[in-house]
Amino acid sequence: MIKTLRASRESFHPLFWWLWALSLLVILLVSDSTLISISISIGAVALVLMKRSNTYWYQSFRWSLRLATLAFALRMAIGVIIGVPMPGQVLFTIPSIKLPDLFVGIRLGGDVTSQRLSTAFDEATLLVALILIFAAASALSNPHELLRVLPRKYYGIGIATVIASSVAPQSARSIERVRAARRLRGESSTGIVSSRKVAIPVLEESLERSIDLAASLESRGYGYFPNPSRYRPHNWRPRETVALAAPIYALIFLFLVPAASSALLAGLVVIAVITPGFIS
Amino acid sequence: MITFSSVSLIYPNAQRTIVEDISFTVNEGELLLLIGHTGAGKSSLLKLINGLIPHHTGGILTGEISVAGRSTRALKPGELADVVGIVGQNPVNGFVSDIVEDEIAFGLESLGIAPEIMRKRVEEVLDLLALAPLRRRNISELSGGEQQRVAIAAALVTNPKVLLLDEPTSALDPIAAEEVLSILHRLVHDLGLTVILAEHRLERVIGFVDRIILIHGDGSVDLGPARQILTSSPIAPPLVELAKKLELGEIPLSIREFRKIAPEISEAPTKAIEKLNGDAILTINSVSASYDQDQSSKALDDVNIQISGGEIVALMGRNGAGKTTLLKCAVAQAPLTKGEVRVNQRDPKSFTDKELIRFVGYIPQDAGDLLYGQSIKQECDLADLDNEVEPGTTLAVYQELMKIPSLNSHPRDISEGQRLGLALSIILSAQPALVILDEPTRGLDYEAKKVLIKILKQIASSLDRAVLISTHDVELVAEVADRVIFLADGEVIADGSSREVLKASPAFAPQVSKALPNNSWLSLSDVERCLSEKN
Repeated sequence: MIKTLRASRESFHPLFWWLWALSLLVILLVSDSTLISISISIGAVALVLMKRSNTYWYQSFRWSLRLATLAFALRMAIGVIIGVPMPGQVLFTIPSIKLPDLFVGIRLGGDVTSQRLSTAFDEATLLVALILIFAAASALSNPHELLRVLPRKYYGIGIATVIASSVAPQSARSIERVRAARRLRGESSTGIVSSRKVAIPVLEESLERSIDLAASLESRGYGYFPNPSRYRPHNWRPRETVALAAPIYALIFLFLVPAASSALLAGLVVIAVITPGFIS
Repeated sequence: MITFSSVSLIYPNAQRTIVEDISFTVNEGELLLLIGHTGAGKSSLLKLINGLIPHHTGGILTGEISVAGRSTRALKPGELADVVGIVGQNPVNGFVSDIVEDEIAFGLESLGIAPEIMRKRVEEVLDLLALAPLRRRNISELSGGEQQRVAIAAALVTNPKVLLLDEPTSALDPIAAEEVLSILHRLVHDLGLTVILAEHRLERVIGFVDRIILIHGDGSVDLGPARQILTSSPIAPPLVELAKKLELGEIPLSIREFRKIAPEISEAPTKAIEKLNGDAILTINSVSASYDQDQSSKALDDVNIQISGGEIVALMGRNGAGKTTLLKCAVAQAPLTKGEVRVNQRDPKSFTDKELIRFVGYIPQDAGDLLYGQSIKQECDLADLDNEVEPGTTLAVYQELMKIPSLNSHPRDISEGQRLGLALSIILSAQPALVILDEPTRGLDYEAKKVLIKILKQIASSLDRAVLISTHDVELVAEVADRVIFLADGEVIADGSSREVLKASPAFAPQVSKALPNNSWLSLSDVERCLSEKN
């Protein structure tokens, strides 16, 4: 009897993190609460920090954090400047621009009320939570492992998913390199103009890499043979089930006890999010 | 094993056909070398054999190609996976796993091989390519040569009849390249594998090959025994050029063959030419550097180097010896832990971005990183702005350096050599005192290399400028460098004139010096100079 190999004990099943992200997404959308958005964001960041690793997909999380910050700032700014007038206490007033009659009811600038500010904040936190859920899932899961567990019948989908999920982390690596090169041309690497100059080579490179990867998969017969085998199978073990059960329980709780105190809910969600961090 | 019958290939919207009406047959157990200028279509020809063209990349194909009796027109690359293995130009991009063993097993998984057989096959291939000690290592931590071996192992694991390799040694140091090539040689001889490889550095592979396919670039190809093709080929290794220059009448393929027919050439004792050097341009004073926070492994260890004006210095050593880190010291991008660096008596850290380019011009390993314009014209205009020089200066430098393909070409679409030339012009229009190049000859053909050599000599002809270049290309060093610095494990282990350093090492000696060990010559131009002095 020949012993079969096993995937390393520490890593979760490659699909696990995406299912985990999906469950958090459902909580986020079902609850529609700013407190929950904030709890999920904090939980996701804490979890990623707990599961620190030296891999390139983990290193991409820094960039996701920046993206989330930028999204938050932009959403707040837009919410404050543009929109329909809202009631509430006027906090401060910014100069307003009169719009043509075509845009009736929309204002640019003008009075900023507490209501406007809080709506903008709610939506900005929702956006941040969304970004961070996906960032955490892609920082914690190995895109190449995902490729192996996806059903090969859906060959195209498999390749597309893997390329999509590996482009962001790998680009994070190329950004560093291209920024260093940018300085060699006598430019400081900050500012919007410079970010375009960094983006072009990085995107070109990631395109090239994706084409190479697809060619390599293709030449090695990926998806052509009906019954692929596994050299080192990944099993779905009890630990995956336990870790995934936590957010699902939180979701059920949310449904059954809608009147629960918000502090309790927030605490529950944070715990549900970081549960996988304690299982290793 | 492989049959091309009247095959033509053209890309849509392209000006010229890659190949036109070519027919040839490759027999089982042959080792074939594919040569041609950059952009002549070497990679395209390889991709035709496993069906990536037209199925993956596109292109209009006429004629019939069959591999082991199967037509590539009817079958997709995946369906040929059990007969053809291919290793691309950048094997790293094609890796689908992080662990060596898993990467190798991937092809078997796809074919649905039973786990018991799979383990046996993986084990065999690990042994075949001497990868057993590395089996659980992370691929990204391996050296270039090791990664190349993993890629070959991954292609061989399905027991293909044909193995295709696109520039397998271009990123490798001479010793790693030797290792890869001797493994290929063994596979051909022991297993009857058919191997076709495309390569620019003929001097490395020529001794191993049976026949050569020469792609002219105008659609025609020549296929014949190595000796016959090299007699008339415009592309030839230094050894063959030397034989032609000395009018030996025969084409030697190895150093051994050359020595059998080599004439005794008396060399007039050359007066030691005192080469004048200018002031120190780069001074590196007991520098150590480390990429780890806890400094457990050192990238550089107590390095002392001084480079003066008028010098061309080559930095050599294994992949991962710390060459790039040393180069980065000059632009303050290395993680120094100790020591000081001076460029023109100033700490590079104190330069502003604009000052930096006036002191140091640095071409990174991928010269394309420096470029972001949408056309050559735009790129040159942007460089004028960046370098704060008169509009048109960069373009003028570029025109002086090389023939420009077309001002509207996109910098990604031009050949490797032209791209390097563009990057060099951008750097040079700022008139830096120190020009640094990191692995400039990757993917360059002999012609482009000649142009590069000319440019580098021109730069260093002035006493207030110096060139520092890191490379694995021994022949380039022999042609261009005055001085060679050898790095091993982050330490300088040799520093002296190219003649002393290169001649002393069997692995790093250039072909000319191996072929004529009794003479002091290193390169073809040394021989030429001596012959012309005689006449």
